[in-house]
Amino acid sequence: MLRVSATTTETNIDLQMINGDKTAAAEQTGVEYGLELMKFAESLATRNNSDLARDRQTLLDVAGEKVLVDAAGVAANFQRMVRIADSTGIPVDNMNAKVSQLVREELDLNRFGSAQNTLSAAKVPVPEV
Amino acid sequence: MEYFTYIDSPFNIREDIKIAHRNYWKALAAPGSWWTGEQRISIAQEVRNATACGFCEERKKALSPYAVTGEHEHSTAELLSTEAIDAIHRVVTDQDRITQAYIDSNEQHGLSPEAYVELVGVVVTVFSIDEFHRGLGLKAELLPEPTEGVCSKYRPKQAARGIGFVPMIPADGATGAEADLWPAGISANVLRALSLVPNAFREWYQVSKAQYLSLEGMGNFVKQDDRAINRMQMELVAGRVSAINECFY
Repeated sequence: MLRVSATTTETNIDLQMINGDKTAAAEQTGVEYGLELMKFAESLATRNNSDLARDRQTLLDVAGEKVLVDAAGVAANFQRMVRIADSTGIPVDNMNAKVSQLVREELDLNRFGSAQNTLSAAKVPVPEV
Repeated sequence: MEYFTYIDSPFNIREDIKIAHRNYWKALAAPGSWWTGEQRISIAQEVRNATACGFCEERKKALSPYAVTGEHEHSTAELLSTEAIDAIHRVVTDQDRITQAYIDSNEQHGLSPEAYVELVGVVVTVFSIDEFHRGLGLKAELLPEPTEGVCSKYRPKQAARGIGFVPMIPADGATGAEADLWPAGISANVLRALSLVPNAFREWYQVSKAQYLSLEGMGNFVKQDDRAINRMQMELVAGRVSAINECFY
């Protein structure tokens, strides 16, 4: 979705921000408040409350409360979505779509254990971990 | 009592988020398809117990979830089975190691796929509302009082096994009483995932529309007018949260 959104808006981005790369998330790479949003998402998902307090304040300081509230909504939403997907074992919808293949390769998503739900359904060899 | 007033919040919370959270609390308190209102609130309480459960913490660190034995820190054994309590804790703290075998074993011990799906629906929706609060440094909302009544035991006829660990409504199966679930021809596995209990899908989706985007809104890859962050910013947050949770989907 990030790749599609960047393409739609003709923005150059470095997807490694999804993997926590601070340089990739820095604002000059195309996503406004990218670094602060990335760190806020990270501290929420890792459930590190002291980091979360710091990163919440930083995001608030640079971007304001409306951005903070919307970011908290999205982060909370995806804390739910990953659990729906993993607890029901659903595979990725269209494994053969070129854009999603490229993103999976670029971010090395096959390393995740839950990849087996898709790779085994698609009869793709599961990498040994 | 009115829930989710956010009067103590230092931040202004969007009205649609308040309404979605309030509506969900009302649904949570009512009897569901397979769990009573009292049990649904117990599931919600157990979500909160899971986030501070020492056994879950130990199990998460283990190479296999079966490598450690112990007991969850729980408070709902009068209303929920051992299997239900474990499933709640698993979904909250160790969801990426849930397997078909785990769900089949639970079924053999009395936790049916239908009850499991509704349980997952309650767990993930309560968890996401609590996470919204935690993200903003707000206290978790008080759980509602249960509403009396019986479970509907409703199971959509078109639900069938295929993908995933549990039966689901096929992508072209949003018909009849389920015609509202998703627009004809437009579905995704994550929408179908909890469709064995249609209300479980309906309930999480209403919250998702406020916290993130509606299905229609997802077609806008630039920026939705009533949001402060654009789509790239949203997807950065979404992607980072998903990556930390090691979600392939």
